[in-house]
Amino acid sequence: MKKVFLEGAISPEFITDSIAKHQGKHSIGAHNIFLGQVRGDEVEGKKVESIDFTCYEEMAHEKLHEIREAAFEKFDLTCMHIYHSLGNVKVGGICIFVFVSAPRRKQVYEATEWLVNQVKSEVPIFGKEIFENEESQWKVNS
Amino acid sequence: MVQVKYFGIIAEAAQCETENIAEENMTLSKILSDLSSRHSLGDYNFQIAVNRKIVSNLSEQLLEDGDEIAFLPPFSGG
Repeated sequence: MKKVFLEGAISPEFITDSIAKHQGKHSIGAHNIFLGQVRGDEVEGKKVESIDFTCYEEMAHEKLHEIREAAFEKFDLTCMHIYHSLGNVKVGGICIFVFVSAPRRKQVYEATEWLVNQVKSEVPIFGKEIFENEESQWKVNS
Repeated sequence: MVQVKYFGIIAEAAQCETENIAEENMTLSKILSDLSSRHSLGDYNFQIAVNRKIVSNLSEQLLEDGDEIAFLPPFSGG
């Protein structure tokens, strides 16, 4: 099973290490990366300070496996990686990292957008926005 | 025995994350209506997964020993 879920924010070092690991794969000519960052939304005068992520991990892994298989069917990719945070991620922290590599660039743009949309709509992950005053509300994707 | 899992806002409303249901010969629709009323989930928006697959038709299917039911509020990853 591929590792997807990481505790807390995804560090910039993790991201640069992931890029470095692909430099030995010489069939790749294009990478594309999507990074989702926790936004400090303001709701009725209260500012979001962090998001607590939880998930239904067994189902999430099954769903991510299906998404991965479908991505390789749909696009000409060399490899792809999806990472998502669990637990608390503060405003400004990276909570999703999608990394797509292919021989040529057209495929990586399309595949990245498709993958991010699939993760948001199909994978059972739940975010709870925590406000500065310690109140909270469950996040709804727009 | 059927295991029930609650997530996100539904787990908060039910005030638990998992419970086991020991009754025999239950239909999916019956167990869902029992649990919804026991935990007052009527006002919440959720999908149901059985054995990690979303079930769109909440039918009279009989649940089997070892089945896993999950109450899933709207996904909000990313």
